[in-house]
Amino acid sequence: MTRQSKDPNGTLMMSRRGILLGGATLFAGSIAATLCPTLSLAAVDAGTQGQFMKLSNLLIQHQLSPAVGARIVDTASGEYKNLPQMLDAIIAIAEKKNAAQVEDFFGDIPDGELKDFAHWVISAWYSGCSSEKRNATVFTYEEALTFKTTSDILTIPSYGISGPNLWTRPNLPLSAPMPRF
Amino acid sequence: MVTKNSADVVIVGTGVVGVVIAEQLLDAGHSVLMIEAGPRVTRAEVVENWRNAPLGVKGDTSVAYPSRPWAPHPMGGEKPEDAYLQFTGPDAYDQTFIRYAGGSTWHWAGTSWRLTPEDMRLNSLYGVGRDWAFDYDTLEPYYVRTEHKLGICGPSDRSQQWPQTGDRSAPYPMPALPFSPGEVKFTEVVKTLGYNNIPVSQARNSGMPYDGRPACCANNNCVPVCPVAAKYDAETALHRLEKKGATLLVDSVVYKVETNAQNKIEAVHFYDQHKESHRITGKLFVLACNGLENPKLLLMSQDDRNPNGVANSSDQVGRNMMDHPARTFTVTTKEPFWSGIGPVVNSGIMETSQGAFRSEHAGAYFRYNNFARNRFVTFAALKKGLVGKALDDEIRRMAACTADIVAAHEILPDPNNRLTLSDKKDWLGLPKPSINYDVGDYVRKCWEVYSQPIGKQIAEAMGAIDIKISPKYNNSKHIMGGTIMGKDASNSVVDVDCRAHDHENLFIPGGGAMAAGACGNSTITMTALALKAGDAIVEQMRGA
Amino acid sequence: MKTVKSFALAAPLALVALAPAAAQEFSKELIEKGRYLATASDCVACHTNHDGGKPMAGGLAMASPVGTIMSTNITPSKQFGIGNYSEAQFADAVRKGVRGDGANLYPAMPYVSYSNMTDEDINALYAYFMQGVEPVDEKAPETKLPFPMNIRVSMMGWNLLFRPNEVHKDDPIQSDEWNRGKYLAEGAAHCSTCHTPRGVFMQEQKSLNLTGGQVGAWYAPDITNDKVHGIGSWSKEDLVTYLKTGKLENRAQAAGSMAEAISYSFQHLTDADLNAIATYVRSVPSANAGQASGVTRFDKGSAGNDMATFRGKNYADGLKGDHAGGQIFAANCASCHGYNAQGTKDGYYPSLFHNAATAGDNSINVISAILNGVDRHTEADHVFMPPFGDQVNAVVQLNNVEVASLSNYLLAQYGNNKLTVTPEDVQVIREGGPKSNIVQLARIGMGAGVAAVLLLVVGFVWYRARRKARPAHAA
Repeated sequence: MTRQSKDPNGTLMMSRRGILLGGATLFAGSIAATLCPTLSLAAVDAGTQGQFMKLSNLLIQHQLSPAVGARIVDTASGEYKNLPQMLDAIIAIAEKKNAAQVEDFFGDIPDGELKDFAHWVISAWYSGCSSEKRNATVFTYEEALTFKTTSDILTIPSYGISGPNLWTRPNLPLSAPMPRF
Repeated sequence: MVTKNSADVVIVGTGVVGVVIAEQLLDAGHSVLMIEAGPRVTRAEVVENWRNAPLGVKGDTSVAYPSRPWAPHPMGGEKPEDAYLQFTGPDAYDQTFIRYAGGSTWHWAGTSWRLTPEDMRLNSLYGVGRDWAFDYDTLEPYYVRTEHKLGICGPSDRSQQWPQTGDRSAPYPMPALPFSPGEVKFTEVVKTLGYNNIPVSQARNSGMPYDGRPACCANNNCVPVCPVAAKYDAETALHRLEKKGATLLVDSVVYKVETNAQNKIEAVHFYDQHKESHRITGKLFVLACNGLENPKLLLMSQDDRNPNGVANSSDQVGRNMMDHPARTFTVTTKEPFWSGIGPVVNSGIMETSQGAFRSEHAGAYFRYNNFARNRFVTFAALKKGLVGKALDDEIRRMAACTADIVAAHEILPDPNNRLTLSDKKDWLGLPKPSINYDVGDYVRKCWEVYSQPIGKQIAEAMGAIDIKISPKYNNSKHIMGGTIMGKDASNSVVDVDCRAHDHENLFIPGGGAMAAGACGNSTITMTALALKAGDAIVEQMRGA
Repeated sequence: MKTVKSFALAAPLALVALAPAAAQEFSKELIEKGRYLATASDCVACHTNHDGGKPMAGGLAMASPVGTIMSTNITPSKQFGIGNYSEAQFADAVRKGVRGDGANLYPAMPYVSYSNMTDEDINALYAYFMQGVEPVDEKAPETKLPFPMNIRVSMMGWNLLFRPNEVHKDDPIQSDEWNRGKYLAEGAAHCSTCHTPRGVFMQEQKSLNLTGGQVGAWYAPDITNDKVHGIGSWSKEDLVTYLKTGKLENRAQAAGSMAEAISYSFQHLTDADLNAIATYVRSVPSANAGQASGVTRFDKGSAGNDMATFRGKNYADGLKGDHAGGQIFAANCASCHGYNAQGTKDGYYPSLFHNAATAGDNSINVISAILNGVDRHTEADHVFMPPFGDQVNAVVQLNNVEVASLSNYLLAQYGNNKLTVTPEDVQVIREGGPKSNIVQLARIGMGAGVAAVLLLVVGFVWYRARRKARPAHAA
């Protein structure tokens, strides 16, 4: 995938790509629809955004919200000066291995800048933030992937879980299946 | 007649103590003017402030309540020299509270343990601390009224209620809330050790709407804010008070209590957010700020008649500062517990707070924290460098198999634990409070010989594969003692109705009056004292 | 002014000397039958002040487009209630809207529907009200309306034109169940009172039976068997479930006066009667049938949120600009209804998409649910959504601009995206629904010498008063 920063249809291309890459998330359609104006205003060019979602989908085998991705790449472009090259480089490593999942290629990413960046991308999706610190940039709260790993039993705090006093449930063993997300 | 600068009764503070008294007075036909240092905000804003905060600081309640320049309150992440509270002594009295309309019940857990009859007679029974100026039976009807006023749910089974020794004259208005899987398992585990983990009685609508507020739907967010107002907080009363005729001034920082020639209170003075001063007169005054702000204001108000500060002929204002010093055991278990379904604090072991040992050392209350664990474990899992399925599994395991057990201790009133006015000034130029604090040997001995061993025993019974203990005593935000109650005006600040010994038309109800705080959270007792004071004020106003 | 005097028949009930009803002992069975019919007729909903009043003692204030009507004491108190009514007088009050003293009732009392009741059932109701209800010797507050609405006799002409005078007769072509259903639905349960639109004279437009009408701050929707606008997509079991519980999971939930109808009436009816009502209602066609195509009002919208546009930023900024509606939704609604408006897994808090509340043919119920909340008691639970208006227990007091912004977000994202709401629309609902200017028109009209005609019109406004300000539906 080449970048399309000068393509007048870049925004449109991105939003379509976003939907495709985001996979058939339960809510993708409506999110993508509201996303378009945001993307067109974003500081990051559409090609970089596309590459970012592609990398994210290689690093994380879950449904990812393009709207949240746009927020992450916006911050990434400020923090990583050679962001486009890093995206291309890691994607190339994955493609070389014909990677279907992160486990297939993650070990091949060289330690240092590239691996640190790959971890940062994963951390951003899972925590919804740019860092653990007080001054972190927040991309999402509700769609941070950490909550998806426990969505079968725990609520996302501040959101209700059930009708009044109807939340009694058995203790789930660790062998219980991971929610699909 | 209430105006913008005068009323029958002037109440400083809009927290739970202020609003329950205000409502009693309004219902009795008196005009009420309430003065709040901080802003008035909507629940919507507070909820979104918290959601907008980074995951790594979601445990800090202050992120939802940024303080205003004119009404500073403790904010996380501040440098000590910039902080509002200044500390001396071996332990830091670094409480969290907020100066907002509605006060700090905005972010309380809702936990409502009554004191026991024994808690109120520490000196008689164990030769330590102070006795309360009255007994449990005197306080009991006010506890009942508090439980109905705030909507406190609790178990109907007598064996599951607290206290076990004192009588209850009425049932809770709502049943206890259901336990999370972790709480069920914790209860079973400690049972094998002989401990009874009982449902917390808590100011939260259980299974039904109450007082026009909806039922709890387990948002697991009582701290720092209930997003649906199923938990009582004083903000929920403000609009009702206004409809009943109360005037509410916000962003108005009271800095002086003015006395007259009879040494009665004549007025209070406040700065608005533009640093302009205003004077409010009334027949009777209630200081319903918290246990730090009340003594600060009294000390700031010193005049020729009251050289140590208003209400301070005893020199007890600002002394005897108490809390529930707490140590946390973060336990990693082999098998899942799953915290985080239901309210954030929903059960506890209270019986360990009582016993003959109190002549030697403090008692302790053990609670299982029921916060969903994602916010605590996500970065730790990420730092392990895992990716893919291994990362998902590790986050889930850590969320399921970690738990915080907190041991909260009772502290004795010690005159050296003292709030004074620091030479550092806040934005308005008012002195910041400085607190000298030492949890004391009574607490430390408990930790060494009693609470730490029990905590470890519980952790091991839970199947701990790792136990981390907080290195120092954490504060519980239960601010007590600074305007202590007693019958003897020479060693206490207020009488049995929270009336200042020195000024017949000044009431200082709330946590500051508590002569002993035992181990349970203080708000229910503060509110009971407020209702008792309210009765006395209504009676006194009748003759006014 | 002459006109007024000559019409001043509306003497207070208590002053009217009537022949006392003959002391009569009714059987327990008859009284119980009457109790059931009173429940089916939902008498208690209006004739009891639910804020601490005694059953059937009246005193409930009911807002209407022309003023506040107070419900009356219908306990058997001889001084303040209907204890002196003969059975014939009672029958005339229920079926004809004529009081014991001969004065006309305002049609806030649904006697147009009750007119189909059989003599046998009137007898049972009478037995119940005389001997199954505790007499309450308390005077209910009087209704005081502005001139000329205080002229009760104006209803006489209207009654001549629009009040049916025949009791129900079975249609031999239909099943017994259908006939029983029709008897209840068109009579005691008085569905059409709210669900049928009103004509020029505020009469029920029978040709548009059950196709929907505004009731105070709420809209009683189309409940014909039209598949798109009505409830033709519901099974008979769905409708029975709804009437029993006040909700149909993720599709519809009763609020306003429908919540009261569920709380006080429908949930207590027998399964046989609920099935009968469902059988009949499901047979009522829409006058607009044939136009029905497209997505039903239970299948619109989809999950989603707008949060990526404001999360992590300043709340006050989020309230400005294009995404204010999404921000208000997140801050006030999502805590129970879910951040994608998906509801809770157990369905207790409904999803806001695929839900009649947001997908109706107008936006009235979206606005009203926000402003007034939901309060419904059933055997299973007490469903309560807090209000977001100016009430003392409003969780947040949203202003008209905020409610409009939120409504538009809800409609666009989750419901009928063809609708928009303005702050002015919100103000109308905040005030309890559209006001009538008929009082003013009548006064002017009388001055102009066309009093007779306009007075007739005036009377019909009463129908609007029907269910007071608490009304509501989301079926």
